[in-house]
Amino acid sequence: MSHSAPPRDAFRVDAAPRAQSEPRAIAAAPFRRVLIANRGEIAVRVQRTLREMGIGTVAVFHRVDADAPHVAGADQAVELIGDTAVAAHLDGAQIVAAALASGADAIHPGYGFLSENAGFARQVAEAGLIFIGPDADTIALMGDKISARQFAEAHGVPVAPSVMPTGDLDAFAAEAARIGFPLLIKAAAGGGGKGMSIVREAGALREAARIAASEAQRYFGDGRVYAEVYVERPRHIEVQVLGDGAGGAVHLFERECSVQRRFQKIIEEAPAARLPAALRDEICAAAVRLAAAARYKNAGTVEFILCADGRFFFLEMNTRLQVEHPVTEMITGIDLVRAQLEIAAGQGLPAPQDEIVARGHAIECRICAEAPDRGFLPATGAVRHLGIPRGAAIRFENALRQGQKVTADFDPMLAKLVVAGTDRRDAIDRTLTALGELAILGVETNVDYLVRVLDHPAFRAGDLHTAFVSEHADSLAPRPLDAAARDRALIVAALGQRVFRTLATDVPEPHASIGAWRN
Amino acid sequence: MALKLKLEDGVHEVEIVARRPHLVVRVDGRLHTVADLGPAGDGSGTVTLDGADLAFERIARAGACLVRIDGRTIAVDVVDPFDEGEGAGGGRDEILAPMPGAVVHVHKAAGDPVVRGEAVLTIESMKLQTTLVAPRDGELIAVLKGEGDTFEKDEVIARLAPVEGGQ
Repeated sequence: MSHSAPPRDAFRVDAAPRAQSEPRAIAAAPFRRVLIANRGEIAVRVQRTLREMGIGTVAVFHRVDADAPHVAGADQAVELIGDTAVAAHLDGAQIVAAALASGADAIHPGYGFLSENAGFARQVAEAGLIFIGPDADTIALMGDKISARQFAEAHGVPVAPSVMPTGDLDAFAAEAARIGFPLLIKAAAGGGGKGMSIVREAGALREAARIAASEAQRYFGDGRVYAEVYVERPRHIEVQVLGDGAGGAVHLFERECSVQRRFQKIIEEAPAARLPAALRDEICAAAVRLAAAARYKNAGTVEFILCADGRFFFLEMNTRLQVEHPVTEMITGIDLVRAQLEIAAGQGLPAPQDEIVARGHAIECRICAEAPDRGFLPATGAVRHLGIPRGAAIRFENALRQGQKVTADFDPMLAKLVVAGTDRRDAIDRTLTALGELAILGVETNVDYLVRVLDHPAFRAGDLHTAFVSEHADSLAPRPLDAAARDRALIVAALGQRVFRTLATDVPEPHASIGAWRN
Repeated sequence: MALKLKLEDGVHEVEIVARRPHLVVRVDGRLHTVADLGPAGDGSGTVTLDGADLAFERIARAGACLVRIDGRTIAVDVVDPFDEGEGAGGGRDEILAPMPGAVVHVHKAAGDPVVRGEAVLTIESMKLQTTLVAPRDGELIAVLKGEGDTFEKDEVIARLAPVEGGQ
C-alpha cells in the first residue's frame, strides 16, 4: 500500500482536479440517460460527472425548486407533485414513473432521501431500471443496526464489546470485566443517564453494577443492567470502499469526521490526522473484508469509532455516496460517481488496490445556515451576496444562486468547501484562505466559526475527537473586534449607507440633507 | 454630523471631518483617511483606508448592514433607520420598504391618523425586525401589505393622504 505521503513536490494541487475529469479510455458510456433522484449540491455534482461521461441527465424537482440550478443544468427535468418538496423526493413511485417517462435507464439516488431505502431499490429494479447502488437486500442488511453488527462480527470486523442484561450480578460482573476498562454500565430499560455509570477498574465493577441495578429498579421498575465499552475521546474514522458485487472490493483510504456538532459532521478530512500507518491499514482492511463478505456492489462507507488506545469498532455501513466523498476524490484522483456508474453497469472497479494511491491532504467544510453562537440553531434568510473562492485545488460544491431564499424546508447545509493541499498543514492554510474569500451574506452561516475551528491549536495539532466542539467551546467563541477592525467595519458600513455616501462625496446644500443625521 | 452605528452591542459614531482632498472621518475620536470610497451599494470592492487597500463585501439597507472584511462577517446596524428611510427618498406620501422582507405586524389601517414617527408596520428582513414609521403627520389612505405578506426593496407599503398644495 502506498499511502504514505509523497515528497512535497510530488503532489501538484493544480493537477488534482484535472485528473478526475480526464476521460478514461475504457468502455463506452455505461448508460444512455440517468435520472438523479435528488436536489441541491449533490444533484449538481452527479450531473457534472454524467455530462463528462456523455450521459444524458434527468432532474426531478418540486415546484419550490423550479428555478434551482439542478433543474437548469439538466437535459430534462420532471416535476414531482407533493405537499412538500421533501415528500415529493420521497415518493418512489413517482420518481420511477418519471424515469420511465423520460427514457432514463438508471436512477442515481444521491445521498439522503431514498438513497438507503431498500423498497425503492427494489421498485427501481422491478421497473426494469438500474439502481445506482447495492441491491435491496444489502441495503436492508446494513440499514438495520443489529443485523449489520452481527454481520460485521461474523466476518472478523471488530464491534464494540458489550455484555447483555442478566439478573445474576456476579455472573454479569465477571462477564463485564472481560470487556476491559473503562466500561459503561447502563440500565436495560434506561434513558436520561439514569442508572448509568462509568467503571474504571475491576474492583469497582460489582458495586457499580449493584447500584446501577437498584437505581434502574427504582426508576424503571426493571433492574437489568448491561455493560459496554466506554470510549473516551472517540474519533470518527470511516473508510471509503468500492465493491463490484462479485466479492471484489477495494478501499480508497480513510476519512476523519471527528469534528461534529449536534451529532452531525462539519469538518471532514482525508487522510485522518496522526493515524499510525499500521493502524490505518488495519482499519481499511477491516472495511474491505466487510464489503467483500457482503458481495457489496457500489461505493460505500464503513464507519468506525476509534479509541485513544488504538482499538476500533464498527459503527455502521452507509450504502451510498457520502456527503464528504470529495475529500477522497481529491487525494485519490478517482471520481466516485463515475466509479458508481461503472460498477452499476457491470464494468467493474476503477483500479486494483495496489494502483489506488493517496496524495496530499484534503479538507471539507460544510457551510451551513446556522448560528454557531446560539447552539448552532438553523438560520433562515436569503443569499443576498455570494462570493465564491476560486482556485485549482478548491471545489465549492453548491447549488446556490444570488437572491435564493434559505428556508427551514431543507437541511441547513448550503454548500461544501473542499480544499486540497500538499499536506495537512498546507490544506488547513489553504482552507483558511478560501474560507476568508467565501462570502455568503444575507443569511447567518458557520463560515467564521469554521475559521476558528481550523485555526485552533488543537485542530492544527490533529488532536481530534467527537467532543471537540464542546470541549473547546470557550476558545472557539468569537473574539471581540479590536478598535482598528471595528473602525474599518464601521467605515465600510457607513459608506454603504446612501445618505452618508452622498454627504461624503457631495458638497451638501446648507441644511437640507444634514437634517437627516442630526440627533 | 455623525452617523450612529451599532456594532457588537456598542454604539459608535462615524463623523465626516473633511471631504477634500480626501474624505476624513472620525470614528470614536480616531481620524481615518478614505482616499478611495470603493463602489457604492451591495457587492464586493476595495476601499483605500489610511493608505491601505481593504477588500470588503457588503450588503446594505437602511437600518441594517452586513460587512465582510478581514475574513469575518460583521453586522452593523444604523441606530435610526427612520431618518435613513426618509433620506433615501422614501417620499413624504409613501412608506417604502427599505429592504426585501415580510410584514410581521400591521399597527395601523387605512383611514387612521398618524403622527410623525408613529409605527405603521413591523417588518422582518434578514431575521431583523424593523418598524416602519410615518414620515410625517397625516392620514393613512392605504396600507398595502398585510401580516405575512412579502415585498421587495422600495416597494410601496403604505400611503398617506397628500398634503394640500403638494411638495
